[in-house]
Amino acid sequence: MAKQRTPVLKVSKLSKAYGSNSIISDFSLEVWAGDAIALTGRNGAGKSTILRCLVGADKADSGTIEICGNRLRESDPAVRRDLATVIDDLDFFPDLSVVEHLDLLARAHGLPDAEEAVDDVLHEVQLVAQSGQLPGTLSSGQRRRLALATAFVRPRKLLILDEPEQRLDVEGVEWLATRLRAEREAGLAIVMASHEPRLVDAVSTRTIRVGA
Amino acid sequence: MSKKTRRRPSSVPGRAPATIADGTTPTAPVPQPEPEPEPEPEPVRPIRVLIDIEPEPVSEDALRGLMRDWRRGRATRHLWDMIQDGYVAVLATVMIGAMLVSVVIRAQGAVSACTSEGCLSSRTLLPWAALCGVLALTLMVSRIFGPVVASAAEGFWLMEAPIRRAKILWGRLVSVMVGAILVAAVFGGLVAALSGSSWSGVVNWAVASGLGAGGLTAVAAEEQTADRTWVIRTLQWLVGLVGLTALMTVVAVAAGWLPNAGFLNASQERFDLVVSVVGAVLLVGAGLLAILRLDQIRRARLVSGGSLVAGMQGAMYALDMSLMRDILVERDALARGHVRPTKGHGTGLAALVYRDAQRLVRFPKQLILLLLSIVVPYAVGALGLGVLSPVISGLVLLTALVPLLGMMRVLSRTGGLARSFPFSTAQVRTAAMVVPAIAALLWVIAVTPAFMGLGTGTAHLSGTDATIHAGVTGLAGLLGAVRWVTAKPPNYNKPMMQMGGFGAMPPGMIGNLIKGIDIVALVSLPLLFGWSYWISVIIAGIAFFILRGSMNMDDLSAAQEEQKRNLEAAKAEASGGKKKIPPPKR
Repeated sequence: MAKQRTPVLKVSKLSKAYGSNSIISDFSLEVWAGDAIALTGRNGAGKSTILRCLVGADKADSGTIEICGNRLRESDPAVRRDLATVIDDLDFFPDLSVVEHLDLLARAHGLPDAEEAVDDVLHEVQLVAQSGQLPGTLSSGQRRRLALATAFVRPRKLLILDEPEQRLDVEGVEWLATRLRAEREAGLAIVMASHEPRLVDAVSTRTIRVGA
Repeated sequence: MSKKTRRRPSSVPGRAPATIADGTTPTAPVPQPEPEPEPEPEPVRPIRVLIDIEPEPVSEDALRGLMRDWRRGRATRHLWDMIQDGYVAVLATVMIGAMLVSVVIRAQGAVSACTSEGCLSSRTLLPWAALCGVLALTLMVSRIFGPVVASAAEGFWLMEAPIRRAKILWGRLVSVMVGAILVAAVFGGLVAALSGSSWSGVVNWAVASGLGAGGLTAVAAEEQTADRTWVIRTLQWLVGLVGLTALMTVVAVAAGWLPNAGFLNASQERFDLVVSVVGAVLLVGAGLLAILRLDQIRRARLVSGGSLVAGMQGAMYALDMSLMRDILVERDALARGHVRPTKGHGTGLAALVYRDAQRLVRFPKQLILLLLSIVVPYAVGALGLGVLSPVISGLVLLTALVPLLGMMRVLSRTGGLARSFPFSTAQVRTAAMVVPAIAALLWVIAVTPAFMGLGTGTAHLSGTDATIHAGVTGLAGLLGAVRWVTAKPPNYNKPMMQMGGFGAMPPGMIGNLIKGIDIVALVSLPLLFGWSYWISVIIAGIAFFILRGSMNMDDLSAAQEEQKRNLEAAKAEASGGKKKIPPPKR
């Protein structure tokens, strides 16, 4: 099988420093289909920096990143097609409603049954009542659910999440754990940073403690 | 207690330990340390439940004085320090101001000598248009900000206290009204002077504009106390329509489409007098009413305006006009809150284009400025400034197209959303340009007759040349608008530049002020200089190539690095695979 030959994500000797302060040094990682890697560690250990480098939001000082065999270039359509992200730089169109955001993403990715997929995700993230709301009026928890929905409504091979449990209520965290476990079991590769032990235990196949 | 005071001296200072003749230390009975006294238990403090306490009356004036003292006491620099440090800038401002006044006086003298139909109608109607414009602007700004505002801190710490808010807020209302009077008076007087009115006419229009703006600010404040906005919105539209009609009439008369509106000359003085009187009455009446009712303004309404002011100030310090617009757009969306969702169409990039068009249908007011901008080339031609039309009309079109580029703005300001779409940056930007480009094309068709000299009485350009000039102007406006929405904000992570007394400034900050304008100038100036329009077309092509993101420096350097590595690998393979491949440097 092809997925056995090429890792979904391959990171080699990644280094990143801010001035003289080294954040990541020679970080290497291979993630295969069906793997779920949890990055844990104290605040400021460099988890988010690693993830930002992995999605191309930050440039590493050295090292290579490959996604499904393609060298990472943030604006490469092939990379963007395979990689779904929920990190802190997600923005929304101020004049498109919740459901329109999801519909746009599903259609842009060429989903044949976009409306059905959007309905399913909307129910799942419990934003049906807010489907006509503009993003500026959503609570922080609802915005987080919408951000997660944008990742779930589109095809993907690798999912990168930075503290996805943030601002979710207890039921929300349980739902997220179930959903991510199902995604992993279906063959999706996941890399996430988290401070929530229940989520890490339920989802991850491997835990890496950053800054230990 | 500090460590020093807690430390017990090992011996008494200045006194040696006593010794006997043989040098041994006397053996005295060692005193037993006294047992530490038991700490007295803390007296139980009664829990103060402040229900029955009758608070002492609070003096709002004393509170205000206290806040003023704190602010002044904690300021690290004062206004006088700033002026002293930046005296070059102050001198330059004074000099430029003096030059401007001189230019205005000369222009007034020159224009007042003109007695053509166009000049007469402009002299009659332009001050009307300016007056209505400034009044509509006053109403809009008052409605968006408040006009009475309080900062978030004041809202939390002060407005909830048992005080009379009116005593804290009335000074602000008066300041806002005075500010509106001064700004509007200067603007109204300036337009009257530049359109050739007599000096008495200039004073009349200045007074009318000032009092009108002050009066409407007072009305807006009074409406704020009643927590209403529809009155101000209606007034704003009405006044704006009157101003637009006046402007259109100027153009129509200058173009010869209408006879000279000489009948208006007689009513001009009465009109500005009427506006002055009504403005003064509103200023006093509505102003007093608003001051009396200041206590009724909801805290949320006060703080909301204060937050907006703070946000705008922050964006202004960074000279980031795009951010200022983002704040206003976000606020508008927040006020609207909810829309009726509509179905999308198409897949891939077509879905993006369709949604962009749908946004325009949903918020058609974004088209108003574009429709109004169609008048500009005609007006410029009618005023005999046809040669300048590509530059002036291009700049106006830039302003009119910015609201239509909302999708591109959101997809450019942060990478997160753009990363969610399976397209390259160039593809996304091109798709986001489609709807504004169609709007620009329609604008070009509508203004081509103006470039042909329609309405000016003289043929300006041939049909083909006029079409090309209009097209280049449309391109200049579109690309200028794209540059305006996609330009990166100043980077505060890079080394700063020392700017004399004004402190450090990130590189590119000043350039932020002319973003968009630079592209319009580059594309349209060749036409102004009478050079071949191909130069403009080529410049526009290069600008399009760069602005759509085809020349992403990061991608280019990554591709170069990749090629280098591949070459090294091929060389290593050719030489027996012994050569070590260096890791990529980013």
